[in-house]
Amino acid sequence: MNDASWTIGIVLFVLVSFLLVGLRQKSRESLEYGFGGRYTGRIGGGAAIASNWMSAASLMGLGGIIYLQGYQALAYVIGWTGGYVLLLVLLASQIRRFGKFTAPDFIAERYGSPVARFLAALISIGISIIYCTAQFKGIGLLFSFMLGVEYNRAVLYGGAAVVSYLVIAGALGVPRNQQMLYFVICVSFIVPLMWLAHHLGYFWILPQFGYGEAISDLARQYQIDFTLPFTSGTLFGWVSLCFTLMVGTAGLPHVLSRFYTVPNVRDARWSVVWGLFFIALIYWSAPAFAVFGRLLEVRTGIRLPPPAAERMADLVVMKTAVLAGMPGWLVGVLAAGALSAAFFTVAGLLMTGAASVSYDLYYCLINPKANESDRMAVAKGSTLVLAGIVLLLALNPWGLIVQITALAFALAGNTLFPLLLLGIWWDRANRYGAIAGMLVGLCCTFAQPLLGGTFPILAQLFPLTSSALCGAPLVILVMIAVSLATKPPPDAMRDFLEHEVHGHLD
Amino acid sequence: MSHAPKRYSVNLLRPKKGYMRDEVGTILLVLLGWGLVTFGFQIVLALWAGTPLGRFLTQTYLFNLPLHFFFSGQFLPLWFIILCVFYNYRLDRITEYHSHMRDRSYE
Repeated sequence: MNDASWTIGIVLFVLVSFLLVGLRQKSRESLEYGFGGRYTGRIGGGAAIASNWMSAASLMGLGGIIYLQGYQALAYVIGWTGGYVLLLVLLASQIRRFGKFTAPDFIAERYGSPVARFLAALISIGISIIYCTAQFKGIGLLFSFMLGVEYNRAVLYGGAAVVSYLVIAGALGVPRNQQMLYFVICVSFIVPLMWLAHHLGYFWILPQFGYGEAISDLARQYQIDFTLPFTSGTLFGWVSLCFTLMVGTAGLPHVLSRFYTVPNVRDARWSVVWGLFFIALIYWSAPAFAVFGRLLEVRTGIRLPPPAAERMADLVVMKTAVLAGMPGWLVGVLAAGALSAAFFTVAGLLMTGAASVSYDLYYCLINPKANESDRMAVAKGSTLVLAGIVLLLALNPWGLIVQITALAFALAGNTLFPLLLLGIWWDRANRYGAIAGMLVGLCCTFAQPLLGGTFPILAQLFPLTSSALCGAPLVILVMIAVSLATKPPPDAMRDFLEHEVHGHLD
Repeated sequence: MSHAPKRYSVNLLRPKKGYMRDEVGTILLVLLGWGLVTFGFQIVLALWAGTPLGRFLTQTYLFNLPLHFFFSGQFLPLWFIILCVFYNYRLDRITEYHSHMRDRSYE
């Protein structure tokens, strides 16, 4: 067997073993299976949070953007970890006490408005689509890397593979084993990194520290300074991107519902700490791939012009492995981790998106008399439709994986985050404020492509990937102003907020 | 009893006395630590560039990494974990205290 077939073999083995382990687990505990698998304690809950979070953006995109931008790209690392602080302290346990598990459901209940539900559902579906597009780009790149076919064809293969995997897993009724998924992702990312550090002669036991020396070598021997702050962007760019990713975290549809799979609030809170630690393990490591990639490139005398570097950036993790002469099976392990992360993220998001179509749009708004099987049919059909839309978008991705993902975060941060925040912490916020807020948030998110040409100032204040630094506060102000100008929400809701959400221990 | 007491209106900036006030105090403390350390550091780094302080940040090495790179890339994720632990620890205490106050077992 040559290296490439080893790689493909390992990837297939990992994906099939997820199905087999799932089947085994299912036959053993078919009755206990609940919303997100069985309860496995705070550490297990943390692993579930982390595996749910890991996607092609974390495993492929992050290395790519740091490879291109150095310090400027650390905004992604920090934005995608710091968001959990906001989520934990401002929203998690309070929304849990409120008792609604998805953003559209919360917004519809809190603001008592079908229009708000409609908008929130559309926004949630939009977020899922954009987020999935980034995953499909990652899957397409990995398929084109492994099979040696061109990108467009690889995206089609990848899309077909994801959908058939979803159908098979759905037909077999396989529960997702989140703990095993996290373990696979973590090992498949860090073991190849240790191999790389060892191969290049750096401290390999903790490559997260070992890459420091590689940075010094790059600077000393090749005059490439990776670490200089604010060279490939401005302070405003850094801060606005970081802030956008943080507030977006709290609004992502598939992140919020994680808090309800743990039986009590206290364990739910502590599992966030573990989840954040498991996420940080990957994020501490991602810069190392970028640094080693740069180093190998200059050592072998390759100096890519910027456009070419940008084209290959999302694959830099894989390319670095190949350039270093990593054995095929280990490249396979690396690819398998990234691919399973992307696969399961897509699976989760397509299913949440489809559930939103069938419940929030179809059942709650179009046909309240629909029975279980009608709703199931709508959900299945809309999974395929959503996958089709994502596939079309992924054929012409407009940016790097992390940039596409950041747009999803900007949308969530500009629309859902202010509604959740004020919904919990200010009982005077009413439905008119909510609807106005979502509309303004949508405008902020897409201000650059829509109006940036006519009003350059808008393009500067609301950059596509980082519009929430100015957007989220603006939306909050609009919500406050509109709510104060219209009549307050019903007393029942205000009492509920006072006594149940904020008064459970009075 | 001609007038019902004026109702409390939920507001993050004017928390209700009791559990909520303690909870909000912790939240604001954590948010302060979150914002100042994350964004404050970047602002210092950008505005003090070229001064002795800026040179100290970019030219001191810690674990082979320049201090500012170590701070953002390695320490900040750790700092977020510390903040979450602090918040959880405080909230466990607060919940326990107020559960005793109303003589209810801790959930």
